[in-house]
Amino acid sequence: MDLLLCSLLIYLLGTMTIIWPHKLEMTAHYAGTACAIIASGMVAVISICYLVMPVGGLLVDTDWGSYSLAADGWSSVFLAITGIAGFFISIYALDYAKGYRGSRIRALTGLWNLFLLSIVAVLIAGDAFTFIVAWEIMALVSFLLVNHEADRKETVSAAYQYMVMTHLGTAAILVAFYLLGSHSASFSFVDMMQNTLDGSLKHIAFGCAFAGFALKSGLMPLHTWLPNAHPAAPSHVSALMSGVMLKVALYGFGRFAFQFIGMDNIWYGLIVMIVGLLSAFLGVLYATMEVDMKRILAYSSVENMGIIFGAFGCGMLLMAMHLMPLAIVAFTAATVHAFSHSLMKGLMFMSAGAVMHATGSKNIEKMGGLLKKMPYTAFFTLIGAMALSSLPFTSGLVGEWLVLQSFITLAQQAGTPELRLLVVLSFILLGLTGATALGCFVRLYATAFLGRARSHIVDKAHEQPFFMLLGMGIAAVLVVAVGILPDSVVNTMQMLVAGPMTAPMGNPLGIMWGGSGHYAIYSPVIILAVTLVITLAVAIAVACFGGGFQRREVTWNCGTVPTERQQYSATGFSKPLRRAFDSILNSQRRTEYIRKDHDYFGRKLQVHLEIPDLFTEKLYKPIQTWMISSSSAFRHIQEGSVSLYIGYTMIAMIFVLIWGVM
Amino acid sequence: MGYVFQGLALNIVQALLLLAFAPLIAGVINKVKAFLQKRQGASVLQEYFDLAKWWKKPTILTPYTSIIFVVAPAVYFITSFLAASMLPGFLAGQISISDAFIFVYILALGRFFMCLSSMDAATAFGGMGGSREVYVSVLVEPAVMLAILINSLRYHSTTLSGMVIDYDGAYFTVSAALACVAFFLVILAENSRLPVDNPDTHLELTMIHEGMTLEYSGPLLTLIHLGSMLKVMVFLTLFGALYLPLAVPLAVKILFGAVLIGLVEILNNKMRLFKVRVYMGAAIVLLLLAIIAE
Repeated sequence: MDLLLCSLLIYLLGTMTIIWPHKLEMTAHYAGTACAIIASGMVAVISICYLVMPVGGLLVDTDWGSYSLAADGWSSVFLAITGIAGFFISIYALDYAKGYRGSRIRALTGLWNLFLLSIVAVLIAGDAFTFIVAWEIMALVSFLLVNHEADRKETVSAAYQYMVMTHLGTAAILVAFYLLGSHSASFSFVDMMQNTLDGSLKHIAFGCAFAGFALKSGLMPLHTWLPNAHPAAPSHVSALMSGVMLKVALYGFGRFAFQFIGMDNIWYGLIVMIVGLLSAFLGVLYATMEVDMKRILAYSSVENMGIIFGAFGCGMLLMAMHLMPLAIVAFTAATVHAFSHSLMKGLMFMSAGAVMHATGSKNIEKMGGLLKKMPYTAFFTLIGAMALSSLPFTSGLVGEWLVLQSFITLAQQAGTPELRLLVVLSFILLGLTGATALGCFVRLYATAFLGRARSHIVDKAHEQPFFMLLGMGIAAVLVVAVGILPDSVVNTMQMLVAGPMTAPMGNPLGIMWGGSGHYAIYSPVIILAVTLVITLAVAIAVACFGGGFQRREVTWNCGTVPTERQQYSATGFSKPLRRAFDSILNSQRRTEYIRKDHDYFGRKLQVHLEIPDLFTEKLYKPIQTWMISSSSAFRHIQEGSVSLYIGYTMIAMIFVLIWGVM
Repeated sequence: MGYVFQGLALNIVQALLLLAFAPLIAGVINKVKAFLQKRQGASVLQEYFDLAKWWKKPTILTPYTSIIFVVAPAVYFITSFLAASMLPGFLAGQISISDAFIFVYILALGRFFMCLSSMDAATAFGGMGGSREVYVSVLVEPAVMLAILINSLRYHSTTLSGMVIDYDGAYFTVSAALACVAFFLVILAENSRLPVDNPDTHLELTMIHEGMTLEYSGPLLTLIHLGSMLKVMVFLTLFGALYLPLAVPLAVKILFGAVLIGLVEILNNKMRLFKVRVYMGAAIVLLLLAIIAE
């Protein structure tokens, strides 16, 4: 459709803010962000219309020489995710990015448009060449955005780490495309679909594609860039990266799995599922240990992408067992959870930005009592935290429930003892992940928003400007709306992965799934209705017949007045978990005596706690050490003496001559 | 639509019934403990009197608390009530609006708010309780998931009503017995009973659930206590209906479970907090064996 190309032009128009005169930088910002809002809204509306009323054929189908654009249903879902998240995050950026006035705000706004443009371009690419070009633009633009606060040292190192790792991923994807393309003698997606590889080349292509996309979506052990890049980027950029860019990797992987490689091999599904579930648990475990708000959210993205890929792998496994009617629940679960994660993680990164804006810090150990200072932000964050803990009436539980149903379905079909054991282990991991996620977000919310202020930075905190609240509000409303009325989203996703022939899982009362035997039902509307009735009854009972509210009184604290330092800290809150899983976390704790007059009192201590990332320590650092030592071994042949180099040349020539004679 | 409303009304009636008897069961557990300690003990109705007493008292709040602190007890009570209304019906004509996973996540909603409120009063005890509650729940959750998995494998359903023991088939099997023991361990941990937590102590460094309730008074405290009594009742009903493979009426099974809790609480000490993972590990291994034996 031409309208989609129009929205691309609007993004391009927004990108022009980079070259606006410096004097008009705020005008440039407003104009550029308005372009992003309008274009994202258009993308959202167009793709949703296409999904709801498929007119037949493709959403976009254009050819310009070697570039071609084509967007089918699978693209449209991710276009909708991009459009919706792009829309509310851009509204938020109207006010949030004002903080960058005087520090390259024109570039920020321009690149923001270009980033959205490149994401849309990746999603509508019709051949491998266009895909890779758009993918590279997306990587470079997001690198520049992460690196926006380049005057800070850790930002630069995070940005370069991201740059290097994302290019490794691109290299892997290039190899996969090369194998497919050279086999089908064309880089067009349509041709690649018709000529599937076989044999070991297929395994290599699958491995490369999975590695490349897993890297971009932050699955362990390829996640190490993610917890560094998200905190370094401006908050709205992190929201878009986490909410949308990670899903683009799922889009790419889905295209490979569904169309180019196929799922007939049982190992493919197994690998994806195991990697996904392990990432989910380890991701949330690390999230629970962090004190930097954005690092917590970044690790939580690792968790959620893990759950999404876990469900996707479960579906691939069911497909490999030739159980297509059952596999749809898993693919639906993966896409629904991807959509819901884009809403809730977008929301949470926006509130992290709001908190940073208000307090100037990302460290939750310094916060406390923010609820009273910024009630609206606190309310929206509560919804986000509930959704990420997958609690009822939020979109989080819809995805989570479908994921659990798909694993139950897999369990029913698991014939062999090995597979059954694997399913049991997946359930253990899912249980651990779910409960730890709840703990993680209780900890985040309670430390930052409840209790008393832990430092003076909270004193000057204030409620956020209108557009920031509006952006968060839209996301919060969507999270709750999808959580209470999930049927349209679930049915859309189901129709997309299974075609219009299957009986829809969603109906106005809730969602139903019968693949695991009897029908399982989740009806948030009815539960909500019952809840409201009981709530009313309890409220009336407490208000009319209870003992009433008497007064506020300071807590009894053994004769002393409680200080704000006696509150539990975030680190203390997660200590039991840290001890329970210390064999994985390997935390390093060091106590230093600053003053010690006596063994028991008059002491002043300082405790240093460090929880290094398992894979950074055990995988990346050894590789790095090995690379440096092996390259320094080569240093000996390069001493800098000219006669030695002439000697090398002579030896090389002799070899060439001998080789030529032979 | 008529049958939906009728079914929902029956669900609520069932929850009200369980609510009415929940303090009695708590009284029975205390009486069993007193009997085994060769004490007279309080009347089995004592819990009703305690609840009435707290209900009449006014609420006193700490100055640092926010709205979350006031909302949390209500959410906790309501989620317990919802869980009670979702149990496999013993009244005819009920409708199923959810399944076992939703049951778990409804209870998680109550836990979420209780843990938030524990941090809201800005004291050390509350945070300690919340932190430990999270720790225990992380260890319990995998066992709960496996308990659901084993029954859904056996009865091909994830709804609670679909998982009720089928007395027509072979119901007393090795795997059913293993699952029964494991689920009883889950009940103790999930409801803050000995040996995981001690429901009788205040102001000890060992407490978990009581630590979170320390700052509450008046009707809010009543709601929390009623909520946790109801939760015990709900889990005992679930234990009887789904996991205890004995062909006796449900009420007898609930009483049996209550006596069993009393007995276990007398015979065991509170376990060290970091030993809980070994305890829950045992439950998980039992469930694993049950699934393999299935």
